[in-house]
Amino acid sequence: MSERATQTMSLAARFAASVAIVAGVTFVCYRVTPVNATTAGFAYLLAVLLIAAGWGLWESIVASVAAMLLYNYYFLPPIETLTISDPQNWAALFAFVVTAVIASHLSTQARRRTEEALRQKREMERLYALSRAILLAESARDGAKEMAHQIARTFELPAVILYEPTTGIFHRAGPADLPGVEEKLKQAALQGTQYTDTRGDLVVTAIRLGGKPIGSLALVRPELSDSALQALVNLVAIDLEQAHNREAVSEAAGARRSQELKSTLLDAIAHEFKTPLTGMKAAASALRTGSVSNESSRQELVTVLDEEIDRLNQLVSEAIETARIEAGKLQLNRDWHAPEELLTDVAREFQAASAVRPLGVKPAPGLPRVFVDADLLRLALRQLVHNAMRYSLAGTAVTMSAHCMDNRVFLTVTDYGPGISERDQERIFEKFTRLQAGPGHPAGTGMGLAIAREILRAHGGDVIVRSREGAGAEFSLAIPLECPATDNSTATAIGEKQ
Amino acid sequence: MSAGRILVVDDEPQIRRVMRTTLVANGYEVDDARTAEEALEKLRTGRYDALLLDVNLGDANGIELCRTIRRERPNLEPSILMLTVRNTEKDKVQALDAGADDYITKPFSTPELLARIRAALRRMPAGATAAPESITLGGTVVDFAAREVTSRGIKTRLTVKELDLLAYMAGHANRTLTHRELLQAVWGPEYGDEQEYLRVFVNRLRKKMEAEPGKPKFLLTEPWVGYRLILPR
Repeated sequence: MSERATQTMSLAARFAASVAIVAGVTFVCYRVTPVNATTAGFAYLLAVLLIAAGWGLWESIVASVAAMLLYNYYFLPPIETLTISDPQNWAALFAFVVTAVIASHLSTQARRRTEEALRQKREMERLYALSRAILLAESARDGAKEMAHQIARTFELPAVILYEPTTGIFHRAGPADLPGVEEKLKQAALQGTQYTDTRGDLVVTAIRLGGKPIGSLALVRPELSDSALQALVNLVAIDLEQAHNREAVSEAAGARRSQELKSTLLDAIAHEFKTPLTGMKAAASALRTGSVSNESSRQELVTVLDEEIDRLNQLVSEAIETARIEAGKLQLNRDWHAPEELLTDVAREFQAASAVRPLGVKPAPGLPRVFVDADLLRLALRQLVHNAMRYSLAGTAVTMSAHCMDNRVFLTVTDYGPGISERDQERIFEKFTRLQAGPGHPAGTGMGLAIAREILRAHGGDVIVRSREGAGAEFSLAIPLECPATDNSTATAIGEKQ
Repeated sequence: MSAGRILVVDDEPQIRRVMRTTLVANGYEVDDARTAEEALEKLRTGRYDALLLDVNLGDANGIELCRTIRRERPNLEPSILMLTVRNTEKDKVQALDAGADDYITKPFSTPELLARIRAALRRMPAGATAAPESITLGGTVVDFAAREVTSRGIKTRLTVKELDLLAYMAGHANRTLTHRELLQAVWGPEYGDEQEYLRVFVNRLRKKMEAEPGKPKFLLTEPWVGYRLILPR
């Protein structure tokens, strides 16, 4: 409204100014340097011409009428009277008006052409900026969303919505909201139609690729020529297609990666399980066929058999636990346990291996008991010890310790291996991640830390790693001392019993 | 008297324990190593008739170790038996290519292991091959007594099985020998289907004695049947 008022104001002002200019010409020609009627006529004509060229048709017509009246009054005899009857008056008026019309028309046209050229230049620049953005876009993620933002930014539009029927998502961009166009967008994407509202404030158009609609786009006050709009839509189509291709490529890469992971995992499992089986088969077959006759040797083989059966049993239980955790059915069988007992239990299992690598157990004195699932916690602890032994050099010590701090009990396994870079410290908790850092690519499933973290989180705790490259690693199971709210009743009950 | 000295290289303490017990009970002298480094150290100081080498060592790849031993210690020719959980054709060929003499898949039975060790340590009695003391094939001289091949001035040693295979073929020169016959004569009566062994060993021999191993002139393949050694008379 105020805009229109300003327009009316400026138009009235320009009419007044036109009249004032003509009056000025009259003043100069009549009073300052009196001239004859012909010269005055030319002066008026020049004024009308300039007004027409500078401002437009209506201002120059007002000026023409004013010029005709003043010319008649001051310069045509009888001077200082208004007599229209003289045909000279009509000739003058006609000349002024024709000049006004032709001059204003010519200048308007020139002005319009300039404006058009400028607009086209701006459109071209914007389309170029947009196509550059598309070409440089790398990630497949949020391709369409990014596109909508890019359009709103580049064309300075208050609102843009890009609709993708394959995902059913409306990607909105721009500062303003644009409610109630979803139906129009869906229709455009389905039927490939274009919709423009009566005032040209909203355009909803289909995005086509090879004649087939693949989405739709809503723009508010786009002020775009048809060809620019078409070019914009084509760019969006190319971008969407590119995003789909990128997605397909990364999916294929993902599938290939998961295939590689599976075969690595199978290798690791084969090795883990076949090792005790090898010992068992060799010992059992030696005993069965009488390849070993000496009694002490037979005793030795039976001992190995017994130990390897335990180890295999351990592996199978771990595999089952792992599968249970994997399936997301982690049911905690909690009870009160002394942290140092958990440490010594696990240390005992590693007795055979610790002949190669000293395994120290150093719990701080007077630790409070923790309310945990002992089987699962031992499993998590075993993973840490396994890793420490795998990734550190033979002969270097591995230490297990426990301490209490900030209402949490920490069970810590420390090794003096190559350490873990900061970049790898989060990655190691992902499934199937195996670092190449250990001496000679250690075997393993890459599941250990993921499982340990899963177990600790189920207890309301976490697995914490502290390491510097080249200076060993320290993995801690952090167990909260307070029991989670839901377990309070059971906790107290069991606590009182003890 | 000891039946032979054996070095067991495995990172698994329990497997070393079982092997040591059974091998000692069967009259072998046994030494063991946990790592590739330890194994190389022991080979530097001691003499062994056979190596039992695990492919999956904690700190190294057994196949690499096998290759290193064959490359760095060409004057020692212990028989090398690879132990591994994998049993595809590709894995076997890879192990044999690296210089192993035999290949045992885990888990194995003790009698099988003992039979393989016997086969590896078995030397063909002199005269059994009916081979001459030395043969000349073009520019290559094979000296069976010295276990040496001299090809264009370059001397190379033959491993036990390479020597036995070549000696047997020289004793039956200019005749096509079937896969089974060769395997049973050189490795032992328990063998017969391990054609990949022959393929790898014949390739190893060709590299040592043929001018163009890819286009052999003397050690020829008889497709589907076996091999033939051309001995110019």
